[in-house]
Amino acid sequence: MTAGILFARMEAHRADSHTLERYLATGGYDALRRALAEMTPDQVTAEVKASNLRGRGGAGFPCGVKWGFLAAATPRYLVVNADESEPGTFKDRQLLERDPHQLVEGAAIAAYALGVHQAFVYVRGEYARPARRLQRAVEEAYAAGFLGRGIAGSGFDLDLTVHLGAGAYICGEETALLNSLEGRRGEPRIRPPFPAVAGLYGRPTIVNNVETISNLPWIITHGGTAYDAIGPEGSRGTRLFSLSGHVRRPGNYEVVMGLTWRDLIFGEHLGGGMRAGRGLKAWIPGGASAPWLVPEHLDEPVTIDDAARLGTMLGSGAVIVMDETTDVVAAALSIVRFFAHESCGQCTPCREGTTWMQRVLERILRGAGRPADLDLLLDISDNISPGLRWPPAQTTICPLGPSATAPIVSIMRHFRPEVEARVTRGGAGG
Amino acid sequence: MTAWPPELEGRAQALAGRYPERRSAVGPLLYLAMKHDGGLTAAGVRRVAELTGLTPAQVQGVASFYTMYQEAPGRYLISVCTSISCHLLGGEAVLAAVEEETGVAGGETDGERLFTVEHVECLGACGGAPALQVNYETVEGVTPEAAQRLCRRLREQRPAVIRSDALQEEFGGRPAFDWGPGEAAGAVAPVPAFEPYGTAEAGP
Amino acid sequence: MAERVTLTIDGRPVEAEAGELLIAVAQRSGNYIPRFCWHPRLDPVGMCRMCLVEIEGPRGRALTTSCTTRVAEGMVVHTASDVVEKAQEGVLEFLLINHPLDCPVCDKGGECPLQDQTMACGPGESRYVEEKRHFAKPIPISDLVLLDRERCILCARCTRFADEVAGDPLIEFVSRGNDTQVLTFPGEPFASYFSGNTVQVCPVGALTAIPYRFRARPWDLEAVESTCPHCSVGCRIAVQASANEVVRFLGVDNAPTNQGWLCDKGRFGFEYLRSPERLIAPLVRGKDGELHAATWGEALDRAATGLRRVIDGSGADAVAGLGGARSTNEEAYAFGKFLRATVGTNHLDARLDDALGARFLTASPHRAAIDDLDGAGAILLWGPDLKEELPVLYLRVRGAVRRGAGLVVVHPRGNGLDPVAAHSLRYRPGEGAAMLRRLSEGEGDAASVRAALERGPLVAIVGRTGLAEDPGLAEAVAAFAEGFAGAKVLPVTRRGNLYGGLDMGVAPDLLPGRVPAADPAAREALEARWGGLSGGEGEDAAGIITGLGEGRIRALVLLGCDPAADFPDPARAVAALEGAELVVAVDLFLTESARRADVVFPALGFAEVEGTVTNLEGRVQKVNRLVPGPGQARPAHEILEDLATRLGHRIGAESAEALAAEVAEVAPAYAGVAWDTLDRGAGREGRLLPVPVPYRLPLEAPQEESGDLVLHLARVLYDRGTMLQQGGSPAGLAGEPVLGLHPADAARLGAAEGSRVRLTGSAGSAELTAALDPSLAPGTVYLAANLGAAVGPGLRVDVEVLP
Ligand SMILES: Cc1cc2nc3c(=O)[nH]c(=O)nc-3n(C[C@H](O)[C@H](O)[C@H](O)COP(=O)(O)O)c2cc1C
Ligand code: SF4
Ligand code: FES
Repeated sequence: MTAGILFARMEAHRADSHTLERYLATGGYDALRRALAEMTPDQVTAEVKASNLRGRGGAGFPCGVKWGFLAAATPRYLVVNADESEPGTFKDRQLLERDPHQLVEGAAIAAYALGVHQAFVYVRGEYARPARRLQRAVEEAYAAGFLGRGIAGSGFDLDLTVHLGAGAYICGEETALLNSLEGRRGEPRIRPPFPAVAGLYGRPTIVNNVETISNLPWIITHGGTAYDAIGPEGSRGTRLFSLSGHVRRPGNYEVVMGLTWRDLIFGEHLGGGMRAGRGLKAWIPGGASAPWLVPEHLDEPVTIDDAARLGTMLGSGAVIVMDETTDVVAAALSIVRFFAHESCGQCTPCREGTTWMQRVLERILRGAGRPADLDLLLDISDNISPGLRWPPAQTTICPLGPSATAPIVSIMRHFRPEVEARVTRGGAGG
Repeated sequence: MTAWPPELEGRAQALAGRYPERRSAVGPLLYLAMKHDGGLTAAGVRRVAELTGLTPAQVQGVASFYTMYQEAPGRYLISVCTSISCHLLGGEAVLAAVEEETGVAGGETDGERLFTVEHVECLGACGGAPALQVNYETVEGVTPEAAQRLCRRLREQRPAVIRSDALQEEFGGRPAFDWGPGEAAGAVAPVPAFEPYGTAEAGP
Repeated sequence: MAERVTLTIDGRPVEAEAGELLIAVAQRSGNYIPRFCWHPRLDPVGMCRMCLVEIEGPRGRALTTSCTTRVAEGMVVHTASDVVEKAQEGVLEFLLINHPLDCPVCDKGGECPLQDQTMACGPGESRYVEEKRHFAKPIPISDLVLLDRERCILCARCTRFADEVAGDPLIEFVSRGNDTQVLTFPGEPFASYFSGNTVQVCPVGALTAIPYRFRARPWDLEAVESTCPHCSVGCRIAVQASANEVVRFLGVDNAPTNQGWLCDKGRFGFEYLRSPERLIAPLVRGKDGELHAATWGEALDRAATGLRRVIDGSGADAVAGLGGARSTNEEAYAFGKFLRATVGTNHLDARLDDALGARFLTASPHRAAIDDLDGAGAILLWGPDLKEELPVLYLRVRGAVRRGAGLVVVHPRGNGLDPVAAHSLRYRPGEGAAMLRRLSEGEGDAASVRAALERGPLVAIVGRTGLAEDPGLAEAVAAFAEGFAGAKVLPVTRRGNLYGGLDMGVAPDLLPGRVPAADPAAREALEARWGGLSGGEGEDAAGIITGLGEGRIRALVLLGCDPAADFPDPARAVAALEGAELVVAVDLFLTESARRADVVFPALGFAEVEGTVTNLEGRVQKVNRLVPGPGQARPAHEILEDLATRLGHRIGAESAEALAAEVAEVAPAYAGVAWDTLDRGAGREGRLLPVPVPYRLPLEAPQEESGDLVLHLARVLYDRGTMLQQGGSPAGLAGEPVLGLHPADAARLGAAEGSRVRLTGSAGSAELTAALDPSLAPGTVYLAANLGAAVGPGLRVDVEVLP
């Protein structure tokens, strides 16, 4: 049930969907040409607003609304967030490798709408191959006049630079990304000011995710209202889900939101059900930062708002499925360790708390857990994310610290007896 | 101060000039320095500092924030993912197999600087878990056994260029998604093979 | 003016200016919010998360850091709710899990915010059973500062200070997450002139000062507030002593002057006070030609008889006095009165031929105060390298540039402020007049500089760029600057209390209170009050040294003054001292000059006497007494009074306070300055003096002679000055003299980096190592003054490459 907005071209043209030739042959850059020739920047923005496209980077903020906050001062910048590092997520990588021109065209459309003449794509350092493909596309676009001076025969200039990160998940957080792009340590900034007011080099800046931007050519070609007609209210358009873990058919799927989790995980053309016929134990619905869901939630609809109602989120679109053999303490440790490793270290609660939780979990897995550790883990979590509620409160600058509490809260909520048994029985897998 | 060879210096200046502020080029320049010196050296840090108008302490502060600017990596940097999706499908076993085959513990480098082995967080290959990278070239769906074969191959043949496509073909399993056609470019150092930073062998 | 807003903090309405930080507003209204990373003089980073409060918003209460929140109308804040208290306790627990429990051996123990917070609201018992983070034990990050990374709580105060304030980003965070630590780059220590400030701002014992380590515990310290004696900025300090020995200076946040900062010379340059070389008894030259300890009676008699003999034999005009710039105002006043009323000479000077015109320094019109820099649109610095000579003023200029002022620097050589200057102009010493003409005409490349200066308000900091430069140039520069609408001028020179010395009338052309010596009404009033006043022209320092050389002047009284070392042409000064019939020195040490005196009186020094001093903007501040001082040393004013008595006159110096009262009466600018107002309330900021009779600036720049190679002779922060060399820790920081050569000149002369060269100047020559310096104006050579090589202050020099 893949709906073809983002993946249509690569699915139809396996051999060359990433080339300019194929892109042009399948209507590529028509949207940009049209925008430049027939629309004012405000009209482009109006289409994006009408589409009700919500950001695909994790927070789900309406794209057109964000654009509306861009301050008037110039120069101003557009930054495409291709740092994709949320465990379980690999959708942007596929867009970068298989249809990079779609992103370049989207970025050019956005730049035109925003009055930006310099744009950056910040690609995580480990994505060497995707970055190469993108760089190649950028070079092709320059050569064909879709980037550079007077693009596509218009009076509009745009430079686009592909910038490689160097191994830091936190640089996906938009203000950390901006610091990193400025050649600084990738530490999130205090907000306000928001990037739309003071971003890159202190100038007005829009940061959008790869998937968000890749939707723009379609929206301009078909109109914002056409996009708004797809999917349920609040979750319009198609959305990429990265399925991984114990499913039969891991991979990226483009779906119209509003289907159920059961459809997504068990659907024949989607997750295909559990590997080796095992039972489903839990899944993480939106990347490692998201609180987990369990089988009782299988028939809930997959929408941004329904996820929030269940105390979790669609986040980055990463669905990580765990079957009945999963050791939830070990799984939680993997995630907590991730956040401890990726904490930038600015905030005391995140820097100290994530490592502390990691140590306690490691100790439990070593068989040296103590009954008091369960409440200790919850209290450490509470000191990072007071009240342990949704959406999370935080004692920190950015949401990374609170994210590290999601697996703790999830295993305590859904699997507390298992964790208790681990502590009293001792030992890994014990 | 120790200037770089003219060709490198030219690339460095071009990179620094590409950004509205030179400081932005710190990251790319650190890759250049690593490529030149086989790792990030004190001299490399100083040169980057000069090129960007920072102090060496500032450049060190930036470089050490990120995991990919390594001081003395082996010729082959083997990065095994153990984040949640890979963890669920045996990433730790792959890591153990690599450690055993290379004789190098995670986070370390062997005496002759052939291998550096590290466990890393999510590589964005979760659909093809478990995954690893050699010099940032990805292999997905690796078994412990395939990982060991891969290490042996590297030790015996010492290939000059590492290419994702070739590794995937020979040592990989089910990928996260259909990669499409292969490409010729690959890594010639434990630095991402990305052409503007001068690290890729050949374009597609 | 910022808009006033009303917010509610814990149920009470509080008024503030819109945009102020909540943490500061709360504190002012009596609600201290705990904090570690926030520092009022640094940009907020919100890292420690200790200062969390709850703020009411459309979606209920939200936890926010008060150090990053700007107040707004109607804001409702809770600083003590259960949620806030739990969060703060949590942060404290997180901070403590890796903090070592070595408070008993930590310098910070007893004055540690982390310790205090833990006592106040910390968890009783640790729930942390895992292993603590370990780092190699303390590592020196400079000659003066030690870093213990285990104690560090990563508040970024030191790194922010180094980067934002000092402009020396040599300590930085390294690694990330739980491995984050503060470090220098290998082989590149935190060699900042301001390194000690990091010790002071560190909220724990992670950064400690090597000179202070283990010297004292906070609870046995005695302290007074005072004013740093090292340069004319007049930074406010807290002096702390343990067992009657000064052990530490801390910066006090005096808004108009130093805002809490000190340079390392100021902070650590007090150890001379406890030097074993301090004079502890009077010395009198014996028949054997050597100095011997004597009783006070013997020494005073000997000095008085000697002076009487010279006065009787050659007239009072044959006596001269130098000094006062290292003394308190009261001591300087007593000195001036002694010379002019008791002795009856008008040869007196607090300068040493290295400053500027006395009237220009004290009474130039449209004087700028230091804090005028904060609101400046443009700043012109044509004067000394502030980083070397007036370090905390350098910080203030940097701060002003950060706030948006455009800085123009005119100097013969690379200057500490170049990195932040919008325009940096070079000229050869001797060609200042031509440079000034180019700027005045504002044509060609000077047009953009002029335009920058026009973006006022302009504050011009003017002074001599070097000792070889004509002091008249600075006055012409000041006149140029005054041509810009609303401009203000700050004439600067370095030495300690020079401005105070001049204000007290220790200069031939000045009477106490910034009044010209030629003013008949002022003379009449003073003569009546003093019971005597010398007339005539009077010689300044250079004239006095010349007069001594020529035999016109026969006796010299030195008050804390060492011309044999500090005069720009030391050889001439030495010859003058050696040719004198009588030299009387009042000093702390047997200096190069005192060593050549006939009578030497041991004086009490800083922290041993009480009084006032006046800084370069004309701000009177208090210095206070804390320790008794060594041996038989006495306050200088008492020594002068005893001498005067023996000469049949009274100065009236029963006490320093009595002198101060007299100054307030006779010196117009000091009218109403009362000691007891200076240490409390608004008086703690000191008192900025008015200029009663403004000085008329000359419009013409002096024409100087030039040559193929000219000398730029300038002071550096760490030199061979007595206070530094006698003071343990910073003594080793003075470098070796080298000769700075522009690469083009070096090539012409056949010299290279490291070549041995002979520099010959107006008064001697020296063998030096050449150092290539492309920041010099071509045709200029650079030599640091008072590093052990002196060739005279003349502009024209020769350089010869030695084989
Ligand atoms: C810890 C953290 C990591 C993030 N990582 C990513 C990322 O890898 N990619 C991404 O697009 N957004 C990421 N985000 C979200 C960005 O901050 C930002 O909201 C997003 O790039 C905006 O794009 P959008 O509006 O198109 O979604 C992250 C946020 C946080 C707090
Ligand atoms: S929450 Fe963690 S990652 Fe985010 S800013 Fe604070 S320390 Fe850095
Ligand atoms: S004082 Fe506010 S976060 Fe540290």
